[in-house]
Amino acid sequence: MKREIPILLTVLCGLAVTWSFFSPVGVSSAMNAELLDWAQVFFSVAFLLGIANLVRISLKQVTAGHADSPYKLVMLAVLFGYLLAGLAEIHGWLPAAFTEEHGNKALRNWGHAKIFVPLQATMFSLLAFYIASAAFRAFRARSLEATLLLTAGAVVMLGQVPIGDELTGGWASRALAFLMVHVNGAGQKAIIMGATLGVLATGLRIVLGIERSYLSE
Amino acid sequence: MASVIANFDRRWIFLAVGLLVVSLYAAGISSELPESEYVRDFHATLEALPPGAIVLLSADFDPASAAELLPMYQGVIHHLFARDLRIVNVATWPAAPPFTQKEFARIAPLYGKTYGVDWVELGFLPGDDVAMGSIGQSLRSAYPRDDRRTSWADLPLLADVGDNMRGISLLITASAGYPGILEWIAQVGGRYDVTLLAGTTAVQTPDLFAFYPLQLKGFLGAATGATQYLQLAAPLAARLPTGEGALDEVRDENQRRMLVQSWAHILILALIVVGNVIYFRTRVPTGAARR
Repeated sequence: MKREIPILLTVLCGLAVTWSFFSPVGVSSAMNAELLDWAQVFFSVAFLLGIANLVRISLKQVTAGHADSPYKLVMLAVLFGYLLAGLAEIHGWLPAAFTEEHGNKALRNWGHAKIFVPLQATMFSLLAFYIASAAFRAFRARSLEATLLLTAGAVVMLGQVPIGDELTGGWASRALAFLMVHVNGAGQKAIIMGATLGVLATGLRIVLGIERSYLSE
Repeated sequence: MASVIANFDRRWIFLAVGLLVVSLYAAGISSELPESEYVRDFHATLEALPPGAIVLLSADFDPASAAELLPMYQGVIHHLFARDLRIVNVATWPAAPPFTQKEFARIAPLYGKTYGVDWVELGFLPGDDVAMGSIGQSLRSAYPRDDRRTSWADLPLLADVGDNMRGISLLITASAGYPGILEWIAQVGGRYDVTLLAGTTAVQTPDLFAFYPLQLKGFLGAATGATQYLQLAAPLAARLPTGEGALDEVRDENQRRMLVQSWAHILILALIVVGNVIYFRTRVPTGAARR
C-alpha cells in the first residue's frame, strides 16, 4: 500500500489535470482549481521546510565553530528580522504613529530598497567585468564550431547596440535580425518541440504508473 | 601563448571596463535607436485596445534584472493609463511587488487614476507556473484579497473579471527568467486564448523568437527593446508641471545607457580579437608539437 497509494494519487491527479486542460468547464474545472490550490499550499509549506532546514544546518555549523559562522549568524538575523518585520506589519503590531508616518509596509520596503536591491544589483553588475575578462581569456576560435559561435556572438553584440549599425552601415542589425529570426528561431522551435515531446512521454509514463523514480524506485 | 594570457592580470581588464562605463555615463551622451519590428508590434497591440479594456500586468523579476525590466514596466504603466486602460497587477516573483507598488503610487496620480477602479495590485502569488495556472483558471480564487488586504467585493474593477481569463484583454509580463513568459505562454496564453506581450532580459530574448508573432504578439528584448519602446511611449505620457513628459527622463536615461552598452560591447569584441590574435600567433602547431 505504501507504493500503490502514491501511484494511484499521481495517476488520478494527472488524469484530472489533463481532462480539465481539454474541457475547462464544470466538474473538471472545479477539480483543477482545487488541485491548483493544493499545489500552492504544498509550495508554501516547502518554504517553511526550506527555512527549517537552513536554520538547522546553519546552527550546526555555528555551534561547531565553522569558519563561516559569522556569515551564518548574519543570515539568520536577517532571515528572522525580515520575517518579524513582515509579521508585525501584517498583524498591526507596529505603533500606529509609525504606520501613519511611514506607511504600512515601510519596514519591508526599506529592507528591500536599501539592502536587497543594492546587493543584488551589485552582484549582477559584476557579470560585466567577468564577461570582459572571459572574452580575453577563453573565447577562442579553436574549431569550426567555436568560430561559428564566436562570429554569431560578435554579430549579435554589434547588432544589438546603436554603434553597431553606425560602424557597419546598417549591416549589423540586418544580420542580427536574420540570425535571430531564421537561425535561432528555427533552432529554438526544434528544441522546444523535441523537449515537449520528451515531457509528454515522461508525463504519460508517470500518469500510467510506469515511471516511479519520484518514489525513489 | 598560454603563459601570456594566463599571466595577464585581469584587474587591468576590470579597470578598463570600469573606466569606460563610468566615463561614458558621466559624459551623459545619449543614443537614439531605430525601433525593431517586435517593438513596434508591442506598441501597436497596446494601441489597438479600446479604452476601459483590462490588462493583466505581471511583474516577474527581481532587483538583479530591474535595470533592464523596470524602465519598460514604467513605460507600460504610463502607456496603459494614458490610453485609459485598466490594470490588474500581479507578481510571481516575491521581490517584485515593492517595485510595482512604488511605481503605481508615483504614476497613477499623474493620470488622476483611482485605486480599485482603474488599477488593482494583487501582489505576489507563490507557486511559479502553478500560480500562473491558478490565475488563469480563477483570478478570484487565486487572490481572494488584494495586496492591501481589501476584499474582492470592495474593488469595482474586479467585478469585470471572471474565471478562465474572462474580461482580460491582454497579458503583459516583465519576465526575468523562470517563472516568466515561457510559463505564461504554456499555462495561460494558449489555454485561454489571451493575447500576450512580454518584456525580457537579454538572456531570455532569443527564446522568444520561436513564439513570435503567433503566441506572442510583440516583445521588448532587454535594454535595447526597452529604449526603443520608451521612444514610442514617451510622447504619449502625461505632462509634468515643468512641461516635460513624465517618461522623458526614463527614456533619456535609457538612451544614455545604450551608448555605454555600445562601447562596452565594442570593448568585449576587441578583447576577443586580441585574445585570439595572441592565441594564433603563439600557438604551437599540432605537427610541430608531435616532432
